[in-house]
Amino acid sequence: MTYCNHCKASFQDNRSLCPYCGRRTSTQAEFARDQNEVVRIKGLYKKYSKKANWAVTNVSFSCYAGEIVGLIGHNGAGKSTTLKCLEGMLPYERGEILINGHDIKREPIAAKASMGFVTDNHAVFLKMTGMQYINFMADVYKVPTELRLKRLQSLENVFQLGNAIYNLVSSYSHGMRQKVCMMGSLIHHPKLWILDEPMTGLDPRTMHAVQEFMHRYAAAGNTIIFSSHALNTVAHLCDRVVLIRKGQQINDINVKQILMTNPNFDFEEYFLRNEN
Amino acid sequence: MKTNTKILRERFERVEGSRNKSGVRDRLDWSLVGALLRKQRVERRFGFTKGNFDAVGFILRLALVAVFVAVFVIFFGRFAAIYTTIKTNNVPDVTQRLYELLAIAYMFVLVLMTVNSVTAVVRELFLADDIKIFSAMPVGAKTLFVAKVVSIYRSQLLFALVTVLTVNISVALVVPQGVWFYIMTVLLCLVLPLVSIAIGSLLALPFYVIRQFLQPRFALLFIAVTLLAAVAFWLYSIVLTAVKELLLGDDLRYFFNAQVMETIRVTVTWLYPANWMACFLLRHEMVRSSIGIVLVLAVCTAVSMLVIRSILTRALQARISGDENFIYARQDVAPCSSIFATLFKKEFVQIFRTPSYMFSYFSVALLMPLMVYFCMEVGASLLTKLIGINCNLELALFLTLLFSALTNVFCSTNISREGMMFYSVKAQPITPKQIFMTKILFCVLVSVASQLISAFVLGIASYVAWPTALFIFGIGSIFSFAQICFATRYDFNHAHFSTEDDGEIKESGNTVSTIIVLGMVMAFLIGGAVLIVRMMIALRLNEVAQSFDYLSYVLVSVITVVVAVLSYLYLITRLNQKYYEFSGGGLM
Repeated sequence: MTYCNHCKASFQDNRSLCPYCGRRTSTQAEFARDQNEVVRIKGLYKKYSKKANWAVTNVSFSCYAGEIVGLIGHNGAGKSTTLKCLEGMLPYERGEILINGHDIKREPIAAKASMGFVTDNHAVFLKMTGMQYINFMADVYKVPTELRLKRLQSLENVFQLGNAIYNLVSSYSHGMRQKVCMMGSLIHHPKLWILDEPMTGLDPRTMHAVQEFMHRYAAAGNTIIFSSHALNTVAHLCDRVVLIRKGQQINDINVKQILMTNPNFDFEEYFLRNEN
Repeated sequence: MKTNTKILRERFERVEGSRNKSGVRDRLDWSLVGALLRKQRVERRFGFTKGNFDAVGFILRLALVAVFVAVFVIFFGRFAAIYTTIKTNNVPDVTQRLYELLAIAYMFVLVLMTVNSVTAVVRELFLADDIKIFSAMPVGAKTLFVAKVVSIYRSQLLFALVTVLTVNISVALVVPQGVWFYIMTVLLCLVLPLVSIAIGSLLALPFYVIRQFLQPRFALLFIAVTLLAAVAFWLYSIVLTAVKELLLGDDLRYFFNAQVMETIRVTVTWLYPANWMACFLLRHEMVRSSIGIVLVLAVCTAVSMLVIRSILTRALQARISGDENFIYARQDVAPCSSIFATLFKKEFVQIFRTPSYMFSYFSVALLMPLMVYFCMEVGASLLTKLIGINCNLELALFLTLLFSALTNVFCSTNISREGMMFYSVKAQPITPKQIFMTKILFCVLVSVASQLISAFVLGIASYVAWPTALFIFGIGSIFSFAQICFATRYDFNHAHFSTEDDGEIKESGNTVSTIIVLGMVMAFLIGGAVLIVRMMIALRLNEVAQSFDYLSYVLVSVITVVVAVLSYLYLITRLNQKYYEFSGGGLM
């Protein structure tokens, strides 16, 4: 039995091409996996100007429901650029990015509606209070009124902004801005949560709470992609790790599988070896 | 007997103690000043490098300054010609008149420069982002102050050159002067910024304290700055009235009667240090004047250095710790509202809670009707007297368009002021149409409200009939819409996001100059052209002038609607594609 991912049609025979759209069909196993695919990045190329070098070259990977995927690499390797292309912030020259089956270029609104993101610079409206910012995000992602308070309370349990949520964001510290960014990005309960350097600036307690939250969030069937330099965090949190070097994807490794076969696997050593 | 450890410890403490003592003393480090200046030079050059330099905007900026200088030279030269011939007790005293004129002019320039240097000192010393970095470095307050002051001096010097040279050359054309006058003019240009910066540094602290008090009280700040600007405009209207008297000729001499001249004479004796500068230039009481100028300079510099040194570190630490006490209504979880409504609210909050934005938009929009009224008061009687026909419709239209063009200049930062948040919003499920149309609607609403008050003022003051006021309101609104659409898209095409921590745009760029020039050109084209056509008809075909009334309405309506349609088309053409492909602005 074969399936067409595009038309969602099934065929009893083993035909390789869909008679309706002419695209390649999938086997049952492939189809089941594709149905779970939340992110698909295929052959991504990005450069910042015509004369500049490629910032990202031929990066391809997929993320599935319930997975936590880490992007690691040295400074300027192309992690943030990849994530910004994924979020729709930056245009890219070549390649394809699908989020929940929606092309970020052709259907940007549908693709963005199902994701939440936290940028590396904690961009947030400084003249709003934390609460106003979260209300803004809830409005943008059309969160029903009755769900807002409930979600806000559960997020408050994790991030613990307390009464500071009523203060202007401009008076927040680095870590507090990070927290309000995270809360705003989660208020619509996105299927895909993208974080660029999420642990930077967080206190150890919040960092621990965020890690726990990430585990729970992914266990509920959501997908998390994040970039980080903290290899221990990556090893502790991720199911898979994508290693990027000088804009190129070096490896896509299954952390859980490696740790199962070799519990003493040293990620730092692995990273340094691959970096060189 | 002391052990070796004790001796070593004592020696160490002695060395460390002397080191700490010399470290605590805030000495002026000239090599560090040089390094800081080099950093500033690199930052300044960045704006002129290939790809970052907006040649058209830069030329338009220069053109704008040139126009202002030309207009000033014409009016000031004419005024000086009349003023220097005024007699007191039937005796002409050209030198005394010249002294008064120069002293008042220098005082005016000095006040402007001092206001500018107060804001510059506060911006550079208390608010600049690099200060945060320097506060953690071994850079003394004195060194930092000198480095910052040198960069302020450069901009002040430029301003002094433009204003003082203009004033002095205008005066010299009326009353020819010797070489001394010209040499001293150059010296004055060099000294005037020093005086303004010294006074400015002294006033910077009280200004900063008032600013810190008002800043979190958004509504109070709005009222305070609007009232202050209203007073400034009222003073400006007095100047406009004097200009009217000037243009009407004899009335000006009548205005400067014996009593007024005596008041001016006494006032000028108190205009320190401007009167000393005027004296020095006219080779009058030179020793006293030069001592006075040097004293003012020395005292102000010493006191300001002392004040800045003592408060700078504490002010910075307070800023870094973020102990700001903002005052606003506490808001809880809000009910769901549409994307349009939430973007609209965001726009309002961002502008209202940023003092500079609040003033340049809300305050100016509120004051625009006042400006139209003041100028109408002067212009209406002037035109009636000059050409003997009522051109109130054309004049009101011209003034409305001119001031609305200046009000809407704020929209030329509609995109740039978003800063990093532009990219964040781009990653949210919001269409470019929603983003741009919310901004356009917000600005149009503010502008239309301003136009409505302006038309009401024109109607109530009986300058125009009510239907005409309504017509002016309509044309003003369409014109505003056109300018806002154009300015927003132009800013998007030339976006330059602020790299400051707070993302606030603190200096007007070339886009702003471009929009000012284009707005003024359009105001002249629509309002001015009609006014000229009307005056020409009135002067040449006086008997049939009334029948040409309709011409003004038709001409203005057609041009305005065409401009609005073209601007809207400019806004929406390839907007979606450009938005999704956008990666400019200098942040990515």
